[in-house]
Amino acid sequence: MIRVNGLVKHYADLRRGHFVAVDRISFHAKPGQIYGLLGPNGAGKTTTLRMLSTVLQPTGGQASINGYDVLTQAPQVRREIGFISANTAIYDRMTAWEMVECFGRLHGLEGDELHGRMENLFDRLAMNDIRDRLGGKLSTGMRQKVSIARAIVHDPPVLIFDEATAGLDVLVARALLDAVLELREHGKCILFSTHIMSEVQRLCDRVAIVHRGKILTEGTLPELYQRHGEDDLEELFFGLISRHDEALARVPDAPISTDKPLSSEGGLS
Amino acid sequence: MRWANTKLIFLREIRDQLRDRRTLFMIAVLPMLMYPLLGMVYFQIAQFLREKPTSVLVLGALNLPESPPLFENDRFSPTLFSKPQAADLLNLTFYNQGSDLWTPAPEDPLEKAREAVRTGQFDAAIWFPSNFADELDRFRLVSESGVLEVRKGEEAVGPETLPSIPRPEVIYTTSNEKSQITFSRLQRVLHSWNKAIGKRNLAAVGLAPEAALPFEIQGDDLAEAAGTRGMAIWAKLLPVMLLLWALTGAFYPAIDLCAGEKERGTLETLLCSPALRSEIVVGKLLTVMLFSMATVILNLISIGITGLFLMKQMPGIGPVPLAAVGWLLVVLVPVSALFGALCLALAAMARSSKEGQYYLMPLLLIVMPLAILPMIPSVEMNLGFSLIPITNLCLWLRSAVEGQYAVLLKYAVPVLGVTVVCCFFSIRWAVDQFNRESVLFSENERNDLGLWLRHMVRDRQPTPKVGAAFLAGALILVAMFFLGLTMPVPEGFGGLVRTVMVTQLGVIVAPILILTFLLTTRPAKTLLLNRPAWRVAWKTVPMAILLAALLHPLAFAIQALIARLYPIGPEAQALQGLIASVPSFWQLFLLAAVTPAICEELAFRGFLLSGFRHSGHKWQAIALSAIFFGMTHTIVQQSIMTMMVGLVLGYLAIQSGSLLTTIAYHMTHNGLALMTTLVTPELLARHRWFASLVDTADGGYSYQTPVVIVTTLLAIVVFGWFYRLQHGETDEEQLQGAIHHGQALGDEPLGPE
Repeated sequence: MIRVNGLVKHYADLRRGHFVAVDRISFHAKPGQIYGLLGPNGAGKTTTLRMLSTVLQPTGGQASINGYDVLTQAPQVRREIGFISANTAIYDRMTAWEMVECFGRLHGLEGDELHGRMENLFDRLAMNDIRDRLGGKLSTGMRQKVSIARAIVHDPPVLIFDEATAGLDVLVARALLDAVLELREHGKCILFSTHIMSEVQRLCDRVAIVHRGKILTEGTLPELYQRHGEDDLEELFFGLISRHDEALARVPDAPISTDKPLSSEGGLS
Repeated sequence: MRWANTKLIFLREIRDQLRDRRTLFMIAVLPMLMYPLLGMVYFQIAQFLREKPTSVLVLGALNLPESPPLFENDRFSPTLFSKPQAADLLNLTFYNQGSDLWTPAPEDPLEKAREAVRTGQFDAAIWFPSNFADELDRFRLVSESGVLEVRKGEEAVGPETLPSIPRPEVIYTTSNEKSQITFSRLQRVLHSWNKAIGKRNLAAVGLAPEAALPFEIQGDDLAEAAGTRGMAIWAKLLPVMLLLWALTGAFYPAIDLCAGEKERGTLETLLCSPALRSEIVVGKLLTVMLFSMATVILNLISIGITGLFLMKQMPGIGPVPLAAVGWLLVVLVPVSALFGALCLALAAMARSSKEGQYYLMPLLLIVMPLAILPMIPSVEMNLGFSLIPITNLCLWLRSAVEGQYAVLLKYAVPVLGVTVVCCFFSIRWAVDQFNRESVLFSENERNDLGLWLRHMVRDRQPTPKVGAAFLAGALILVAMFFLGLTMPVPEGFGGLVRTVMVTQLGVIVAPILILTFLLTTRPAKTLLLNRPAWRVAWKTVPMAILLAALLHPLAFAIQALIARLYPIGPEAQALQGLIASVPSFWQLFLLAAVTPAICEELAFRGFLLSGFRHSGHKWQAIALSAIFFGMTHTIVQQSIMTMMVGLVLGYLAIQSGSLLTTIAYHMTHNGLALMTTLVTPELLARHRWFASLVDTADGGYSYQTPVVIVTTLLAIVVFGWFYRLQHGETDEEQLQGAIHHGQALGDEPLGPE
C-alpha cells in the first residue's frame, strides 16, 4: 500500500548548509495496518510525510502509494491519501460543513453521495453541533475533528497523520486515537508520525524509529524489544539515538549500523 | 487542467474573501466613503482659499495718475473687477514717505517690501516707480501728437519715438500658495486698469475704445457637442487611477490568498488535495481578478456619483461619457489579469501577510513609472509605445476616454497582444512559485543577509546557485549604472578604448571572476571552459560562426525595425558616429567584437546562465540571462536587440556546453554588425553581387526580403544541428525532466556532488 524505497531528500539550509533531511529510508505499510514513524523533532518525519503526500519532491529513491509513484503520478497519489497535520489547518472563514464539502468536491464527489458521506461523518465524529460554525470560532479539538473529516470524506485507502495529537488536550487526543483505531478497523493503511511513545505503544502495528533522516530500526514492537534486548520503548528509543549520535560524533561520514538487516517483509534496505 | 476544480477553488476563495471584513472594507466601503469625503474636503479648502482676503503692500501710490483711478477709498477700484465685491479680497496697506508702517523709515523701501513678502508679513507687494504718472502722461501726449501728424498726412509715430513707461513691480513668492493667489488677483486687476488707460488714450484722440481690440475670438469646443467637455484631464487621470485601483484591488486579496494561507497552514492542505497547482493558481487568480475589477468598478461608481455633484463647481470639466466607461471596463479585464498574476506570484513568495505587504512598494516602483510615462505631453500612442506593457494600456485607456475610437481599434492588436503575453508569463511565474518548495516551505531565516552570504561561500557548489546568479547580475547592473553617471562621454578613439575596457574588464569580468572563485568549487565548469567544452569546440565553433552569419540579415532587419519603432536619440547617434570614426576596422573589431564577446560571455553565458540553470527550467534560465545581458546595454534600442541575441547565445551555451561556441557567435555577430558601417555606395557599385542582395531605398540599405527569408531558413537548419547535440543537465533539470516525462528517479540521489 505504501512502499518507500531508498527515499532521499536534500535541503540547502542557511544555517546547516546542504544537509540530508531524509537519508535513503525504506519501509512498507500494508492495508489495515498502522505504521508508526517515531522520532524526535527534526528527525525527518514531516519531510518524509510531505514527500509521500507529494507536497515535496524527493531528491532520490522511490515511493509509491497504492501503486502510484509520488513523483511522477502525484495527482493520482493525492486521490489515494488523506493528510492530517499537526496544525489543524482549516479555513477560518468557512463553516465545518462547507470545508468538508469543498474537499469532497475536489475529490470528485457530488450530490447525494457526497452529502450522504458527510452526514455519516458528522454523526460518527459528533460534529453536528458545529456544522454551521465558522472555522475561526472552533476550539482546537473541534478543528482537528473537522480536519479528520476533511481528510477522510473521500474514503481514501491511505491516511497520513503528521503529529496529529500535538497541542490537543488529553480528551481530544484520546478521541483522535480512537478514531485512528476505528479507521484501521475499516482496513485503512495508516502512517502515523509521532514523538509520543505511548501513542506508538497503543496504536502501531509496526514502527520505525527515525533520527537524523535515517531509520535506526524498524519492526513490530515485540520484534524491536527482542532485537535490542529492551522491554521498554522509551529506553530502547533513547539507547538507539544516543548510540547513533555517539557513533556520528566519532566518525561523522562513516555509515552507521544500528540495526541488523531484516529479512522480513518491509524491512530496511 | 479541470475547470470543475478551478471553479470550486474560485468559488471557495470568493466566499472566503467576502467574509473577510478587511477585504470588504478596502474594496467596497473605502471607495464609497473616500471620494465624497475627499471631494468635500477639497472644495472646502479651495473655497476657503478662494474666499480668504489677502494682504497687499502698495508702494508709490502717490505716483499714479488720477484717471482712470486704480484705488478708491483705500482699496482697488471696484470698477476694475467683473464682480465689484472681489475688490474686498485684496486688503491694501499703503506706504508713502512719512508713513509710520516701518520705524525708522527704511533706506530702501523696495528691499524692505521684498523682505516683508518673504517673511509672510504681506502676501504680495506692488511698487509704482516715482515718474510713473508723468511717463504715462507723456506717452499719451506723444501718441496724441503722432495721431494728429498722421491725420495731417505725416508718417506714423514709430515705437522708438514713444516714451517707455517704467514698469510697476509685483513682489510675490511661489513658495507660498497664498502669495501666488494674490499675484494672480493683482495681475487681473492691473490688466483691467491697463486696458482702462488704453481706452482713455484712444478716447483722447477720438478713437473708439474697441480700436485696440477690433475683434474677439469665438471658441468652438467640439467636446461640448460630443459630451466630452474637459476630457483631457480625465484622459490623463483616469488610466493612472484605474491602474492603481486595479493593482491595490488585486494586491490585498492576493496576499491573503497566498501568504495568508501559508501563515494559517491551509495552503499545505490544499496542495495535498487532487487539485493541480495550475488549477489552484487559476482559481486564485480569477478571485484576485474579480476583486481587482470590483475595486475599479466601485471606485468608478463612487467617483462618478461624487463627480456629478462636484462637476457643477468645475465648469471646465464634464462627466466621463458612458461609452468611455464601457471601454474602461473592457480594458479592465487584461489589466486585472496582469496585475492579478503579478500579485499572486509575489504573494506566493511571501512567508506571511506582513512580509507580503512589503512587496507592494517594489511593485509600485516598477508599475508607476510605466503608468506615468503617458502623462508626458509628447507621449502619444504609436506602434513603439503600444509594445510597452502598462504604458500601452494607459495610452489605450486615454484614447478610450478621449473618444478616439479609431486609435483604440488601430492599436488593439499590439496592446492586447503584449498584455496577453505578459499575462501568460505572469501566470507561468505564479504557477512556478507554487511549484517551488523553497518558496512554499521557506523558513524565517531566509532573509538573514549575513547567513545567506556565509551560506553562499561556505556551502559552495561546483556551479553557482540561482541566488548567486541574481547577485552577480545585480552587481553588474548597479556598477554599470554608476559607471554611466561618472564616466565622461567618450571622445575620440582613446576615449572609446578607455570606456570599453573599464566597462568590460572592470565592471563585467572582474566581479564575475571574483564571484566564480569565491562561490563555486569548479570555476572551469561554471564558465563552460572545462575539458568537454574544449573537446566539442572544433565542431561547435564553426557552426556558431555559420549561424551568426546566417542570422545576420534577420538581426539587421530587426535592428532596423527597432530603430523605426523607437527612434535613436542624439547620444546614441553620436556613439555610432564615434565608432565610424575609428581609423582601422581591425582596431574596431578588437574593441567592439572580440573584447565584449569574451568578457560578456564569461559573465552572462558563463556565471549567470550556470547559476540560473539550477532553477530546473532551461528556457527560464536562458531568458533570465538574456534579460540581464540586455539590461547592461544602456541604450534601450540596443537592449532589445541584445536580449534577442542573448536568447540565441543562451541556447547555444546549453546545447554545446562550451563558452567557446558562444564567444565565436558573439564575435561574428558583432563583427558583421560593425562591417555594415563600412558599406558605402562606392562599395556596392564595386561589388555587384553584394549589391544584388541589398535594398538601397530610404538612403540607407537593408537586405532584400528573400535574402532574409532564405538565410533564416538555413539558420533553422543549423539550430536543428545544435538541437541534436547531447548536453548535460543540472540536478534540478533532471528532476523536472523526470516529472515531465513520468520517469522515476534513478538509484543515485540527486544533490550536491
